[in-house]
Parts: sequence; C-alpha cells; structure tokens
Amino acid sequence: MKIIAIVSGKGGVGKTTVSANLCAGLRRLGKSVLAVDLDPQNALRLHFGVSPRHVGGLARAVLSGDDWRSSVVQGNTGDYVLPYGSINEDDRLDFEQDLRENPTLLRDQLALLGLAQDCVVVLDTPPGASVYLTQALAAANAAVIVALPDAASYATLPKIMSLIKQYCSRRKKFLGYLLVINQVDRVKQLADDVTDMMSAKFGKKSIVLIHQDQAIPEALAYSKDLQEYDPLSRGAHDVKLCVQAVERLLSPDTVGAIAA
Amino acid sequence: MSLFSFSELPNKLERLGGKLANAPFWESNFARAVAAVIAVLLLVIVIAVPLDLLQQTAIAILAFVVSSKLRKLSWGRGGILIMIGISLLMTMRYLYWRLTSTLDFETTVDMVFGYLLLFAELYGITCLVLGYIQTAWPLERQPVMIDRPVSEWPTVDVFIPTYNEDLSVVRLSVLAALTLDWPADKLRVYLLDDGRRDAFRDFAQNCGAIYLTRDNNRHAKAGNLNEALKRTTGDFVAIFDCDHIPTRSFLQLSMGSFLRDPKLAMVQTPHFFFSPDPFERNLETHGKVPNEGQLFYGLVQDGNDIWNASFFCGSCAVLRRAPLEEIGGVAVETVTEDAHTALKMSRRGYNMAYLAVPQAAGLATESLSSHVGQRIRWARGMAQIFRIDNPLLGPGLTLGQRLCYVNAMLHFFYGLPRLIFLSAPVAYLVFGAHVFTATTSMVLAYALPAIVLASMTNSKIQGNHRHSFWNEVYETVLAWYISMPVLMALLNPKWGKFNVTAKGGKIDQEYYDWKMAVPYVLLLAVNAICAVFGITELLRGSDEPFTALINCVWVVYNTVILSASAYVANEARQIRHTPRIKAAFPATVSRANGRTVMCETANFSSTGLGLKLPKDNGVKWDIGERVHVSIFRGDKESTFPGTVQTGGQFVGIQFDDSLTLKQTKELAKMTFGRADMWATEWDKHTDDKPMSSIKNVVAHGFVNLYGLVRSGIRGAFVKRRA
Repeated sequence: MKIIAIVSGKGGVGKTTVSANLCAGLRRLGKSVLAVDLDPQNALRLHFGVSPRHVGGLARAVLSGDDWRSSVVQGNTGDYVLPYGSINEDDRLDFEQDLRENPTLLRDQLALLGLAQDCVVVLDTPPGASVYLTQALAAANAAVIVALPDAASYATLPKIMSLIKQYCSRRKKFLGYLLVINQVDRVKQLADDVTDMMSAKFGKKSIVLIHQDQAIPEALAYSKDLQEYDPLSRGAHDVKLCVQAVERLLSPDTVGAIAA
Repeated sequence: MSLFSFSELPNKLERLGGKLANAPFWESNFARAVAAVIAVLLLVIVIAVPLDLLQQTAIAILAFVVSSKLRKLSWGRGGILIMIGISLLMTMRYLYWRLTSTLDFETTVDMVFGYLLLFAELYGITCLVLGYIQTAWPLERQPVMIDRPVSEWPTVDVFIPTYNEDLSVVRLSVLAALTLDWPADKLRVYLLDDGRRDAFRDFAQNCGAIYLTRDNNRHAKAGNLNEALKRTTGDFVAIFDCDHIPTRSFLQLSMGSFLRDPKLAMVQTPHFFFSPDPFERNLETHGKVPNEGQLFYGLVQDGNDIWNASFFCGSCAVLRRAPLEEIGGVAVETVTEDAHTALKMSRRGYNMAYLAVPQAAGLATESLSSHVGQRIRWARGMAQIFRIDNPLLGPGLTLGQRLCYVNAMLHFFYGLPRLIFLSAPVAYLVFGAHVFTATTSMVLAYALPAIVLASMTNSKIQGNHRHSFWNEVYETVLAWYISMPVLMALLNPKWGKFNVTAKGGKIDQEYYDWKMAVPYVLLLAVNAICAVFGITELLRGSDEPFTALINCVWVVYNTVILSASAYVANEARQIRHTPRIKAAFPATVSRANGRTVMCETANFSSTGLGLKLPKDNGVKWDIGERVHVSIFRGDKESTFPGTVQTGGQFVGIQFDDSLTLKQTKELAKMTFGRADMWATEWDKHTDDKPMSSIKNVVAHGFVNLYGLVRSGIRGAFVKRRA
C-alpha cells in the first residue's frame, strides 16, 4: 500500500479535481485505488458518483468506533471512496480533537484496512495548514502539491514545503513530492511568468503542468473519465503525464524518482 | 579461411601503405629524389605509351571494371583516391594522345573548330583535376565545445546589413539574432540600414537591436559592413544577410573553434534555403534532386577546409575582428567582397574553417532572372579577383590554398566552354569540319574512358550532394549569361555591370520568360539544324557513317540538357504567401470555448501554422474561429493568437497581424530558431545513381521540350490576337 497526500497552500486550486483525475489515471494503469477524503467539505465522493445523500464516512466511523472498512463505498465510476462523512459542527470539533491527540490515527487506521501491496491510497486534504494536513503528511509515502500559477499560490509554497520537510522528509518511507501547477494559461502574462518562476525553482523533474482546459470540468460534470471524454485534449494529456510522474515517484527503483 | 579475403584488402593495403610511408629511407633526400624520378618516369610511360585501338580498348575496359568494383565497395576515402587515380590516368592518356595525335588539321575550318573544342576540353580537364584535389578528402569538421567559464567568453557583434529589403523580411532575422544563445552582456545585434529608413530605426529601437546607418552607400554591402566595423568593438563579428534567420545555437556551435585556435579568422556555415530556388520550383525538383548550392556547401567547402582554404560567403559566418581590421575590413575591390576578404586573411597566415551544420536559413532567389543576376555577380567578382589578386601569385598562401582558390574562380569560367560543347556538333554536321584528325574508333577508345571514369568518380565523390547530369543542367542555364561578364572582367576588372534586373515580388501567374530563354532556344535551334543535317547525311549514305552517328548522339544529349534547362524559364506561379516550412512540433490549440486540442504542426511560416490532427478526430472547426496556438520545444511553451482558416484533419491557422514584438521573437525562437531545425533536412538527399539520374534528366528534357513547344505556340497565338 502506497499513500499519496494531495495538498495545497490555499483553496480553490482544483485539488479535489486533481485527486479524482489521479485516481482514475492510476486505475487505468492497473492499480487498485482508494480515494480518502480528509476535507470536512466532504465533496470528493461527488466526483465518484456517490450519492449526495450518502452520509457515512471516516469522521463518523472514528467517533462511533466503527471499522473504517464499513464506510468505504463504491461510486458509480467503480472506484472505492472513503468519504469524510456528514457530521455536525460539535462532532467535527470532537473528531479534530481526536486527531490532535493521536497524530498517527490516520496512518494506523489505513494500515488496519489491510489493503493489497499494489494498492494506492489518495488522500484529499483541506487547503493550508490544518490537523488534517498534519495527519495526511504523517501517513504519506508521497505528496502532490497542487498550486495555481498565481501570486497567492506562489506565496504559500514555502509554508507547504516547510510542513513537508517537518512531517515527511525524515521518514524513510517518504519517497518525495511533486508540484502540480494547475490551470496553466500561457496567454495570461502573469500566469506565464509565475509558471516559469515555479518551474525554475522546482526543476523539471519534480514539476508537472496541467493546462487550463474546459474539458476537465466538463468531464467531471458529466461523471465521465477525462481520457474518454476528450482524449485529444491537452488536459487529458497533462493528467496522463501527471499520473506517470506520480507512478515514477511511487516506484523509486525506476529512473526519475525524486528524493525529498 | 581463405588466403586472400577481399574485405580484408583495404586493411592490408593500409598497413602496407603505413609501413611504406614510415620506412626509414624516406629520411634521405637522395632516396626521395630517386623515388620521385622513378615515379615520374613510370607516370610518363603510362600516360604517353602509344597503344593501338585494341590495346587502348583493353586498358579502358580494365580501368572501367576496376573502378566499377571500387564504386560499389565502401573503402572510404582510400577507395575514392584509387578511383581518382584511375580517372586521372585515363584523362591524362587522352590528353597526351589528343595533343600529339589529333591536331594535324587540314583546313582552316578544321583548325578553328578543332582548337575551339580543344580549348573547351583543356578547361574541362583543368577543372576536373583541380576538383579532384579540392574534394578528395573533405574535412568533416565537428563543432568544438566551449570549455571556458562564461566570464571568459568573447563579445560578439551581429551585423545584419540591409539596403532595400522589406521590413517584414528583416524583422524575423533581427529578432532571431536577438535570441541567439550567448550571454546577453556579450552580444549586440546591429541592424545596418543603407536605406536610411525610419521604420527600420523604430523597429530596431523597440526590439533591442542597435540601428546604424551612414550618409552614403559607397561599396554597397562591403562598405556598409566596414562602416559598422568602425563604430563597434566586439571581439567577433557574426554576419547575416537580412533574409537569413539564424538558429539560437549558431554561436554555441561556431565559437568553440575560435577559442581553441587563436589564428582562426573565420568560421563559415552553410547557406540553407527553405524556399525552392527557380530551378527547384520551375523544374519541380525541390526535395528530390540536390540543388545547385548543395554541392558547394555539402562538398566543396568541406573539401576546401582540409586545405585551410574554405572561404567566406558573405552570410552565416563569424569573423574575428582583429584580422579583419588588419586587412582593412571587408574587401571592396571586387563585387565578391566575401571570397576576397577570406583570401586576404589567408595571405596573412590566418586560418579558415567551414562547419557543415546549417545554423541559419533564408529565402532562395525568387525568379530565374534574379537568380541569374546573382550568379553573374559571383562570376564577375571571381574573375575580378583572378585579375587583381590572383591566388596563384602573391605571398602567403600554401599550394593547396592556391589551387582551391583558383578552382573556385575557374569554376565560373565555364560559360564559354559549355557553349562550345553545346554547339560543337555543328562543326562536323553542318560545316563538315574534322575536329580530330583521327579515326572515330580511336577517338572513342581514348575519350570515352576518360569521360565515363570522370563521371563515375565524381558520382562517387559527390554522392548525395549532387546527382549526375543535373550539373549539366545548372551550368547550361547560366552558361550564356555568365560568359560575357566573366570575359569582360578578365579583360578589365573595372568593366561594366551586367546585372540582370531582378523582377522581384511574387509571380502571380505562370508564364514563360521568353526573354531569359532566348539563349537556350537559340542553342536548341542550332542542335535541331544539326539533327536535320545529320539525319540527311545518314539517310543519303555517308562515307563516314560512324562519325555522323556519334555527332547525332551528341545532338540528342545536347537537346535533352537544353530542353531541361530551357524549362527553367517557365516561371511557375508562386502563391502569394510566405513560404511554408515543413516541421512537426508538438502543439496545442486552445479554442474559444475553453476546450483544447493536442496536435502536431505540419508546417509553419512567419504568418501562420498548419496543424495535423489524428484521423477521425471528430473535432468541428468554425472558419474564422479565434484560437490560441501553443508550440512546444522540450518543456518550453509559447502561445500565439490566431484565426482558423481551414478545418479538418489539417487545420490552417493564421496568426494575428498584431503579434507583439515579444511574440514574434518567441515565434522565431520556437520555429526558425530551433537548433536542429535545418540539420535534419539539409543535404539529406539520396546518393547519386547515375543511371536513374540520367533517366530523370531525360524525362525532364522530353516533358519540358513538349511544354516549351506548347508555350511557344500559345505565346505566338496570344501575341497574334493581341
């Protein structure tokens, strides 16, 4: 089992979309995938065609002491999802208190799932520093940082990097990170410049660009796999490259892996 | 294991040769003198020994068989040198026989025609021998890596001279020069405008180039460059014609040699043209048959290089400032300032280099008349240098350099000899002159092996750089036009300008340039008359049927070459847009609705792109749709706004007229400026196959003769109506 944390310094960067596309891509490569939602918004399940009325999830399971396995659902896309779960505000605070008290709760619980060797767990996290992010990073074998080519993303990158350093770099099982610049638009001067700046800072090997492409939100809206919805699109191509980069990251034997 | 393995032979020969060359007795001057005397005596015997018809024929067949075998083996340079040796031997045998046994002319007519032909033959043989020396062992120089820290790299001034060319042409060259891969503080791009145009000044100021001009146009391009030399200080000067667009890697590839060799004064790279020249366009040979320049840049300059005699060609070259200033700047005495500049620097003991990697590309001449005009200038200039600064005389040159330079000049004197060959059958068929006082079978036994072996050897040497017989076509087209200017310049280097005015602009409608075609039509008429006389004589029962027949074959050959040549004057229509260059780069179209399409470019030009999509892609395009096209180079991406012109599997995009300077610069960088842009296409023709090449020329000849007659009839008809 390999765990990837999808993280970002700020909100609205398309992290959940990247997570969903990553799951689909990894599944295409023949991996079994479990998408885990650590975001209280509990939106990830919607990308997998799980009914909005579905209320179960890991937060509920923790609070009620249930086995997480009972909360895993299969969406109509065929992927397995562990939603966050619909909970009220008091429960959320309790859950977060539990997470604070037990920093390895997520890692332990995921281990208890008894997933197969080649299974990949994709963790979607809320933006910025949070107890969820701490848990995700403590569990992760790899991190995917999602950013937009804008000033705010650029400004929050150092913070995220320092968190990764703090929680991951010293662990032997941590294989490295990847920066995904999402919604790249070379027509816009600022986006173009920030993309170049980030590329220069992170280097070719640890960076992937996903271009601005209407096919990506459209495919999600119609619950279609992007590769089938518009195989000729730049978006589909970029996501494919992104999936390949993640796979290289997870198999450190292959050339191109990046040590953190 | 056999005692004698044929494939081992070259190695054995090499070992034997090595032993012989390193033998200690060569140290003794006496031994060397004895060896030389023996060699010369043997050579004289082989060349001069009189043989009867049967014996000479036997020698010829032996030479032919050995050379044919060698031609198919890949013995590398050694094999070629042996072929050259055999060819020279047969040529020298012919020459000796020709001079000693065929010149007892009986009548004045015989003598006049006989000596005219002999003159043409002597010219041909001289060029053959010099050509062998020049191209026997091309250097195939490789780029030298720059192994010093960037802080020690020299400063480079890029000169782009212009006089009356359009800004649209010059723009791209200047912008591409600005993107040259070289430290920004060590690179200056100068636009040298002899036209004193405000638009050029504004453009230069906006894009970061430096605008220079002067108050006169003395010595044209050479003067323009010299004026700029006075006002600049860079260690090196890179010169590009204003329609040559450099690739980004030009300096990275060419500068290394300078740092290694402090006496190196110049590095020249090939001139590559992405549009077809008039030959290629009108004869429809673009991409199929190596063009006229290919032999020069593919083989001749590379051959010169081993003799340290490659010369400056006016563009796509870097020169070291100090030696250039030492000789007083670019030479102004002749109209080929470039070659003369190199000659002058060579005389001062500086080294020259040629690097056969195309690092710039430009537009070929647009019409036959401008092409001819340009060649007249070259021919005239070379003749001028031959007169005022003859490379055989004067100080400072090695024998190899002298011979290479002389050949470069003699090459342009082919006009008159070529005209003589093209009209020679007239001597016997019309005037009954005997240009050889020998039997026809003896002429064949001596001349044929010389001609055939020279063709075979040159075909082997020239390989993919030129296809057999096309040389005849190229020279025939120009022969008439360059012979007079060359003659005049030889008589007095200051005489006359013979430039045919360039028509310029695009050719909107196919037409036949009768004015340009007059010489070929005249020569065709001469050969037609010869044919009539020849056939009549054969039918009447000639007392020399064999001689008549040989002359008739000659007429047929001339007719083929002439009609292939005459068709060059049929100016094919040029479509009124900038030439499109085939190239497959990764690309993406971002459409108005936010969707994207990944594809590949099929071609590009300075104003648009052709894109190739996968088959059955199902993408619907609206003509006039506004899009952005991204072009990729590695992980570099540049985006340009444009409009869809055509849809389907191939999509045509036209860039907005309002591309900013920055965008145009990016475009140059992503397309014309790619380091490997031209290397993959340049000089990649298939190897010469003489038999299929002659078939090709013959086919062109007949098709074109038909076309010519048709145009003639149509032309006459239109004129009568008008």
